[in-house]
Amino acid sequence: MLLLPEFEYYEPTDMDTAYSLLDQLKSDGKIIAGGTDVLVNLKEGKIHPGCLISIARISGLSAIEKKGTEVVIGSQTLAAAIAESELIRVEFPILSHAASKLGSPLIRNRATIGGNIVTARPAADLIPPLMALGATIELRSKGGTRTLHLEEFLVGPGQTTINPNEILTKIVIPEAKPFSGGDYMKLGHRKSLEIAIIAVASVLTLDETGKTIKDAKVILSAVAPKAIHAVSAENELIGAEPTPELFEAAAVRAMSDCSPISDIRGGSEYRKEMVKVLTGKTLLNALDAARGGK
Amino acid sequence: MKKLISLNVNGTDYEVAVLPNRTLTQVLREELDLMGTKEGCGIGDCGACTVIMDGRPVNSCLVLAVQASGSKIETIEGVAQGNKLHPVQEAFVNLGAIQCGFCTPGMILTAKHLLESNPHPTERDIREAMSGNLCRCTGYQKIVEAVQEAAAQIKS
Repeated sequence: MLLLPEFEYYEPTDMDTAYSLLDQLKSDGKIIAGGTDVLVNLKEGKIHPGCLISIARISGLSAIEKKGTEVVIGSQTLAAAIAESELIRVEFPILSHAASKLGSPLIRNRATIGGNIVTARPAADLIPPLMALGATIELRSKGGTRTLHLEEFLVGPGQTTINPNEILTKIVIPEAKPFSGGDYMKLGHRKSLEIAIIAVASVLTLDETGKTIKDAKVILSAVAPKAIHAVSAENELIGAEPTPELFEAAAVRAMSDCSPISDIRGGSEYRKEMVKVLTGKTLLNALDAARGGK
Repeated sequence: MKKLISLNVNGTDYEVAVLPNRTLTQVLREELDLMGTKEGCGIGDCGACTVIMDGRPVNSCLVLAVQASGSKIETIEGVAQGNKLHPVQEAFVNLGAIQCGFCTPGMILTAKHLLESNPHPTERDIREAMSGNLCRCTGYQKIVEAVQEAAAQIKS
């Protein structure tokens, strides 16, 4: 059996108690949500918190709701719930799709969107679509609330700008623009239980004629310490007419926007080549979706 | 310090005092003597430890027993009704979907859960739903066929 080290465990039932605990414990206290990352890291000796604080019994953190034009997802929402949500499927199919690719069906029944974001692995599945959709996150502590875009939140592998006394409470996604569509593709050796070799999330927004790209987001993951915009690919696309040739050119640009490393999942040259392939494919699918194809 | 937790397992209520670092797998096997749930990898990568928790199949090796307090758990021991096998179990036995048997409890629970929510799954549905349960022996083909057979049996 793979054993867990010893730790203290708290299960606050309201946010104020949770904030106080975090304040007291400082960096010796770690939030546990679903536990599919935290418990693995504990078993493998990668983290050594003296205390785990579960926020699973605090109500109000796991709803998926439309509030005005925005969709608000509680940080404790299961990946499975996001994959199963009709609201998400209709409003942001790219997120629905990505959620269905996280881990395995069993993992998705425990993993939370908040955990996926805070654990901040370079290949995290929910981060690229959220970045492509312009999502913001809310962090709360005893001291107050702050809202950040993911680009400002993520620093590197497992590193974010979260303060030790903060809790990620919700994810807010602005309304999808008209004539916009996206796709997320994850490359793995297998179809399940995979950490992405690379992944790409693309979202295109067209003008009402459908002949010009008004906005483009191309997010690459697992090719850098954190998910990144393929900036030159995005610049190539914006203002241009969406054609297969344009997408090929953008895909080549995307290759130069990243410097992947070689590791056990793949070599750097292969990863770069696959960035080109997946960027091209996701752009074609995004165009289809933007034109109402999906 | 130990915490007192309550678990409803296969319809029976239990109260157990556990340390926070005990997983649900450990408590089921070592405190409740329910050995049907296995630990394969311990990190959520194989599904041998699958149990149904509050209606969802999960890797029990990644659930702290304290997190499961108050939950309804179904293990492999709860699938048969006395000596009467569930159609999924029958099909696994009859179609040769069991070799060493280590993945089998997890496979059966996941399959049973699938058929309860999707009584007419396609082959793709089955493979996708069971993609968190690994088998080193069978190559999966007979497992898929057993689930299809069970679906047919349940239908009739």
